Amino acid sequence: MNEKSVNMLEIKNLHATVGGKAILKGLNLNIEAGQIHAIMGPNGAGKSTLGNVIAGREGYEVTQGEVLFNGKNLLELEPEERACEGIFLAFQYPVEIPGVNNTYFLRAALNAQRKYRGEPELDSMQFLKLVREKLKILHISDDLLRRSVNEGFSGGEKKRNEIFQMAVLEPSLAILDETDSGLDIDALRLVADGVNRLRSEDRAMLVITHYQRLLDHILPDKVHVLADGKIVASGGADLALKLEEQGYTWLEQGGIQSLDVELRA
Amino acid sequence: MNALVQQWSESLRSATQDHGPQWLDELRLRASDQLTAHGLPDRKDEDWKYTPMRVLEKLNPAINNNTGGVADDVAAAAFNDANFPAALLDKPDYEARVYDGVLVGLEGSDRPGVTIVSLTEGLKRYEPLLRKHIEAVDIDGSAQAFNALNTATLNQGLVIHIDQQADAGTILLRWAMSGNASPSIHNFRVFLLLAEGARMQLMEQFESVDHAGSALNVVSHVELGTDAVLDYLCVQNESENTVLMSSTRIDQAQGSRYNYAGFDLGGGLVRHELKTVFAGSDAHAAFLGAFVLDKARHVDNHISIDHASPACSSEQFFRGVLGDSSRGVFNGKALIRPGADESSVRQSNANLLLSHLARIDTKPELEIYADEVEASHGATVGQLDETAIFYLRSRGLSEAEARRLLVGAFCRAVTDKLDNQALAGHVSDMIDHAMPSYHEN
Repeated sequence: MNEKSVNMLEIKNLHATVGGKAILKGLNLNIEAGQIHAIMGPNGAGKSTLGNVIAGREGYEVTQGEVLFNGKNLLELEPEERACEGIFLAFQYPVEIPGVNNTYFLRAALNAQRKYRGEPELDSMQFLKLVREKLKILHISDDLLRRSVNEGFSGGEKKRNEIFQMAVLEPSLAILDETDSGLDIDALRLVADGVNRLRSEDRAMLVITHYQRLLDHILPDKVHVLADGKIVASGGADLALKLEEQGYTWLEQGGIQSLDVELRA
Repeated sequence: MNALVQQWSESLRSATQDHGPQWLDELRLRASDQLTAHGLPDRKDEDWKYTPMRVLEKLNPAINNNTGGVADDVAAAAFNDANFPAALLDKPDYEARVYDGVLVGLEGSDRPGVTIVSLTEGLKRYEPLLRKHIEAVDIDGSAQAFNALNTATLNQGLVIHIDQQADAGTILLRWAMSGNASPSIHNFRVFLLLAEGARMQLMEQFESVDHAGSALNVVSHVELGTDAVLDYLCVQNESENTVLMSSTRIDQAQGSRYNYAGFDLGGGLVRHELKTVFAGSDAHAAFLGAFVLDKARHVDNHISIDHASPACSSEQFFRGVLGDSSRGVFNGKALIRPGADESSVRQSNANLLLSHLARIDTKPELEIYADEVEASHGATVGQLDETAIFYLRSRGLSEAEARRLLVGAFCRAVTDKLDNQALAGHVSDMIDHAMPSYHEN
């Protein structure tokens, strides 16, 4: 089988440091288009680092390994080029940007991406039509459009704004970095509904989470366990349930042997 | 005495004085003597500590007595040139044009109670009133050198007088600076005299015709009668070889309102001195502004508010963006005198440094001698938030675009305070164009 034709994202033996400290220590991961993968793991395992490395955040230094996105070497690209190639990172802590209007920002972003892909830019009327459709699908009030980016938003509003941006930008790979953190159960359901509406055959998602509860609402195709900078186990959706039940220490005690999962050295 | 002042002194001595009123001729001479005796301000003058005269001395401009005037066609061609920046306002009620320190055009509607004339004409009509203001200008000592120079050469100016309860509508005052021939320092005087209940909106625009060097020294007098309202928008976008010294004294009677918004997006060495005195209660003064600088530009905003009467309010709100090796100064002072109870003072100056060579000196000062005063002040200096830059880039915006967006947003805190949304949008666009280019480090 020719892997390259199937995998949208291929991460091989990825090592990365933050502030000189090794965080990722030989991570391997393949994601195919149309799939949802979940990454779980204890605090400090490197989950968020993985998302930031893929998105190209400064301060995250790759020391070894490679990341291919649709066969392209992602690590050579600037963050905005990665976005234009179709990568989207939903932030764990979305940034408040007072004075920058949400609509203006999003239109500038979308047009930058369209320009990169050689597509015509949208004028404000076309753009407004598009965002109104997306808002309707996601059941978000258009009050959001008039506000500054995330300014004064509640935790839930910020996360929903991330999903809204994702809906407008239509990435081919969306990374949700602990999108469930800080959400009450109603907000969690709203966010999960939004994500589910954006599932499609040509879109992949990487859901990074500490708890299993988000996966009650977003059913993953695969679940990976990240510990100490490596994927230590991969399995189906039931792996998440088992982890929730037993806790991460159970992994270390070798309990994982009892599950039908692929173990990684 | 420094070489530049020596040269000016000789020029002032040899110049034939205008035959104005005798008090004015005498005052010119006294001002000339003061300038000769004290020279230019230096670092020892507390008010000039952060604004050295190097750029002016390097420019070495000669005094231009403006007696020769400016050919009308030259001035008209400059203002009408397609490359000359567009006017802030399309159809003002009045427009006055000053080219190289000479009043070259005055036109507009004929609103009742509104008089807009040259200084020469103004002196004929309002001599006692103008004399009172002219004589009140402090010309003693090196810190007042530019007032002294302006007084010593006094002959060009604009007088706007608005009668009681009259409304002048919108007035556009456009300044064009050219550097033709050798560099000159032009001196000009402005009078904005609003009687009781009078109103006007003034839009002032400073632009350069070319990149040649020149200097302009403007002294302004503002008198606001009881309940008079002056909305004043000033945009300065001159070349980096230009020196602009501007000094304004505002006298505010009871219930009057002075709303100033100043935007410095260019210039080489620029200083705005704004001094307001609340002579009556319940008056209000707002000083808003932004400076967005690149290259080696230097902009100094010096504001002083004298709460001499109770129940007045003042606000100073300035934002600075400094790129390259530019330098900004904000010195905002509010004095609450004994008995000026129920005063309210707000001062705020926030700055972004975009380069390690850029510099800001910010000094909000409050002196409070009254009880029951509401006062706040603060100053900040920071850099663009790298997390915000990454957030924008992760959505597809280039790094330069992300920075431009964040700087624009930072300045919008000022333009959002303007009542006139169309003008605010226009100024925001100008700020966008003035944005310093981004350099690593």
